[in-house]
Amino acid sequence: MKAHRHTRRKIISALASTLATVAALLVIAPLGLVFYHLLVSGIGSINWDFFTHLPKPVGEVGGGMVNAIVGSGELLALAALIGVPVGVLGGVYLAEYGDVRMNALLRFVADVLNGVPSIIWGVVVYGLIVLRFKSFSALAGGLALGLMMIPLIMRTTEEVLLLVPNGYREASLALGISRWKTIVHVVMKTASQGIITGILLAFARVAGETAPLLFTAFGNRFWNHNLLEPIAALPLQIFTYAISPYEDWHRQAWAGALVLVVMIFLINTVVRFLTRGRTVRVL
Amino acid sequence: MLMPRHILHEFEHALDALRADVLMMASLTDRNLQNAMSCLLDRDVEMCAIAVVDEAEIDALEKKVDAEGINILLRFQPVASDLRQVISAMKLSSNLERIADQGVKIAERARSLAMEPMLDDAVALGPMFVEATTLFRDSVRAYADADVALARGLNARDREIDAMNRQIARELTGCMSRNPDRIEDYLHLLFIARYLERVGDHAKNIGEDAVYAAEAEDIRHIKNSLVA
Amino acid sequence: MIEPSITLPTMIEPASPAQTRTPQQPAESARAAFNVRSLSIFYGEKAAIRDVTIDIPEKTVTAIIGPSGCGKSTFLRCLNRMHDLVPNTRVEGEALFYGSNIYAPDSDPTIIRRKIGMVFQKSNPFPTMSVADNVLVGLRLNGVRKRAVLNQRLEKSLRMAALWDEVKGDLHKPGMSLSGGQQQRLCIARAIAVEPEVLLMDEPASALDPIATMKVEELIRELCTDYTIVIVTHNMQQAGRVSDRTAFFYMGKLIEFDATERIFSNPKEKKTEDYITGRFG
Repeated sequence: MKAHRHTRRKIISALASTLATVAALLVIAPLGLVFYHLLVSGIGSINWDFFTHLPKPVGEVGGGMVNAIVGSGELLALAALIGVPVGVLGGVYLAEYGDVRMNALLRFVADVLNGVPSIIWGVVVYGLIVLRFKSFSALAGGLALGLMMIPLIMRTTEEVLLLVPNGYREASLALGISRWKTIVHVVMKTASQGIITGILLAFARVAGETAPLLFTAFGNRFWNHNLLEPIAALPLQIFTYAISPYEDWHRQAWAGALVLVVMIFLINTVVRFLTRGRTVRVL
Repeated sequence: MLMPRHILHEFEHALDALRADVLMMASLTDRNLQNAMSCLLDRDVEMCAIAVVDEAEIDALEKKVDAEGINILLRFQPVASDLRQVISAMKLSSNLERIADQGVKIAERARSLAMEPMLDDAVALGPMFVEATTLFRDSVRAYADADVALARGLNARDREIDAMNRQIARELTGCMSRNPDRIEDYLHLLFIARYLERVGDHAKNIGEDAVYAAEAEDIRHIKNSLVA
Repeated sequence: MIEPSITLPTMIEPASPAQTRTPQQPAESARAAFNVRSLSIFYGEKAAIRDVTIDIPEKTVTAIIGPSGCGKSTFLRCLNRMHDLVPNTRVEGEALFYGSNIYAPDSDPTIIRRKIGMVFQKSNPFPTMSVADNVLVGLRLNGVRKRAVLNQRLEKSLRMAALWDEVKGDLHKPGMSLSGGQQQRLCIARAIAVEPEVLLMDEPASALDPIATMKVEELIRELCTDYTIVIVTHNMQQAGRVSDRTAFFYMGKLIEFDATERIFSNPKEKKTEDYITGRFG
């Protein structure tokens, strides 16, 4: 009798672990498929030209996406200028200051904003800046991305700061060190890796956003030397090329997509590397 | 046998002070006995007065040692050898005070004797006095040096003093019947011999406390004389 | 006359009296570091300590004992205004530190905390800083820049905390790489470095092993010649070893405050006696 039950248990256990393995594979499979497809379709078009040449006029074969790659970099830099200080300081406020009710409200608002479709940010900046100044611009694009970064960085900064044990704050204050110096030199210093991680993750998130750039940065076939004018961005370029009827552009779009994915992959790898060996998980 | 010092400086200091006070008490008690002896044998009346004064100091030290001991128990909760040191120090102080007491009583009777014409038989107490004093000094040395072998031998020697006491009592009783007009003086001598026998007993007690302090063994009230 | 022939044995060297400070009944006229008058502190509506009046003499060790939840840590934290960090607290009464009320509306808690330092139960050297940086952080963040001053203060504080010999070989190793007892002494050195007048200690040795505990206790006895020390402890034997005066708290009120010897040999209040003899906890 007992042996019978034992065998039954073994069978059920084996069944369960098989199902779990299948489920895990089902999750990884799409990711694998995407990478594979990108690699296969795009790798052929990755060449020196791609990284150094401007797009050729419509219809011509060849050229590259150098302006889009650099443009994306510029937009990220602008976004960082807006998003990082506001986000970090906002996180500091939530963690260290403020009263309970206000903070709960702020957190709620930040979480809602994190879930807002990114095209809305684009529309808002379009209404506020693009219409006012009657032109698409890199600044507008940077602003849109930056505004997206703020609630993200704010929440991650706050979480990391809250993880710093209160004992360090108390010890610092007990030494007669003022509150703000305690926050900057002790609390933030202890949480510095976490804060940087949060910022990098925000970068990774906005680097691939296309929708907000549609009516703010707008895209540009040439170099941009003026922040008040439209600028090219990698996701935008991919979009434009992909929906075009030209075979050559499709090829380049795959290459661009591959580059974009690799970029995001690299950022995440750096994040993993920075947080290696730590028991505290950020996000 | 040098042990490392206690981490708590004040604990070390307090134990040292306690020990120093006990040994000071022993020193004064010894002097007290010597004074009593010379009062008797040399008929030196001044020594009697000094003996009485010394006793006051010894009494004060007994109280001080007890207070210090309790303070150490209170503050430092000593264990093991430290605890035994404190407890035996407090017991020693009690024994030393009693020995000093005997010394004073001897001195008082010796003074009475010194007022009277000399009694030759007084000399007979000399050996017993020496024996008792030596026993006392050895007991203190056994405590101070943690000399367990010396301490264990004290029991037998105390019994010798008891025998000497009985012997002298017989002799003095004989003297009393031969010289009835000096009965009072012979009685003084009898009492002095009795006091010396008590000194031996207390010295034996000190030895027992010394063994307890050193080896945590209670050798009191063991009838068997062959305790090696 | 036969000379007494008993001499002191040389088995144990007596400690030089100059180094140690035997606790005595502190003179009643000893200057008070703290005069606390009817101090109460409320968390919301609930009073954590109520109507406490006590004079803490300077340059001595005062221990605060009592069962869990009696308010001893709360009281300690009142003395350097650590409760300012907790929202919704209210303080009534006054606490005079050498004559000036630390709860006066115009007094600056940061300055108060420079004079009244604190060591916590769980040692907390700053994790991103080396041993040297930990000790000097209070000085550096308060504007002291001169190398010479910093180096001198570093060595002095570490020596006073009985840690110098153990760390002088490598002052730049991380503070967290020290053992538990060493970390706590590092925290003490850190607190001493800003040269306070008072050291408040909240169960400083409760997380340490017995030998480390003894070293911290010995350190406290050495420090009390220069600092006023108030120590909260749940270990009554520690209070006996370490303090000159002891205060017994129960349910937020001060029950008895007297010389340590008197409290532990013959307390006046029955509650005190019941607590220290273990008749209730």
